[in-house]
Amino acid sequence: MTHTESLPGVAQDRPRKVALVANCLMNQNAKVCEGARYRGVVNPVVEALRSRGYQLQQLPCPELAFAGARRWWAVYEQYDTPAYRAHCRRLAQAIAPLIEQHLRRGDDLILIGLDGSPSTGVRFTSSKPEWGGRPNRPEDDWEIVPRRGVWIEELEAELARRGLPPVPATGWALDMGRFDEAGSRRDLEEFLDSRESAAISHGDEPAGQ
Amino acid sequence: MNGDARGWRLALVPDALINPSDRDRAVLPDVLGVLEANGYGVLQLPPPGRHGLLLAVIADQVAEYAHHGYAVVAIGVHGEPGGLHWRRLAPLLRHRGLALPPRHLIRPDVDAASEGQKLAVFLSDYDLPPEEQHRWRV
Repeated sequence: MTHTESLPGVAQDRPRKVALVANCLMNQNAKVCEGARYRGVVNPVVEALRSRGYQLQQLPCPELAFAGARRWWAVYEQYDTPAYRAHCRRLAQAIAPLIEQHLRRGDDLILIGLDGSPSTGVRFTSSKPEWGGRPNRPEDDWEIVPRRGVWIEELEAELARRGLPPVPATGWALDMGRFDEAGSRRDLEEFLDSRESAAISHGDEPAGQ
Repeated sequence: MNGDARGWRLALVPDALINPSDRDRAVLPDVLGVLEANGYGVLQLPPPGRHGLLLAVIADQVAEYAHHGYAVVAIGVHGEPGGLHWRRLAPLLRHRGLALPPRHLIRPDVDAASEGQKLAVFLSDYDLPPEEQHRWRV
């Protein structure tokens, strides 16, 4: 079984594979202006997940509901505020019951975030402590640093508060500066295939197969 | 917007159409595939049940889109009103000053391929009036 087997709960049907997916991976309209690389659904991500038997659970977009559809670009430090974290906690409390239900049922969960994003970054977020004031940054002068975005930090904290185990996670590298779709696809597939290999080496039947 | 690929259209979609059961997969079109092919983004609704806070969060997002030049539709399954949570969602949308999005209902008792084509026509035909598009989509 998976890391969830010790959780008390009712296993009513066979475990499923469920991917928690950053909002904008199913809806590029959520992206900041000039950030959308696809019209709507990010098909390479959705296809990679569906072809491996994952169900999809879209997460809310914290930035859209907080700073709006026409928000400025921002880095981690600008969203690292008590008000934005409180907003993220509210969103986490809205989606956590669904996640908890899956975990208690023994489903195999993963999280696909958006690397480079100040909110939804998993492996990387964007950083520039001196950003602020007049939005006059003509050059891409932010830095990519290895840490979670603010939303993912708050979501993981909410799951921990509920006594739930961490969800294995990776990010689709859309916000890393220069977007490399082939490289992002390779990364994601390696992550997904490593999950399959781990399940098989533990003698588990991969969930949802 | 420079180099931005967004489609400016999105759909509220029940969980059952994004993650259909094996039985439903045989009788329903691939809604996610049709949405992708028509350039729509997705706002996924939760499975049936009580999800008051999550529906309020989704309604906030719909309001933000609707107020800034995005076209929002809703897709449901005929005879299964719970999937769209319409009785809960409609008042939340009205409370935010929104007209209710146009709904397209898929019939599970009709050939899935033809239902998929009808959905594609609905999605392709729908958008905001040109003056609204020009106001926002620059």
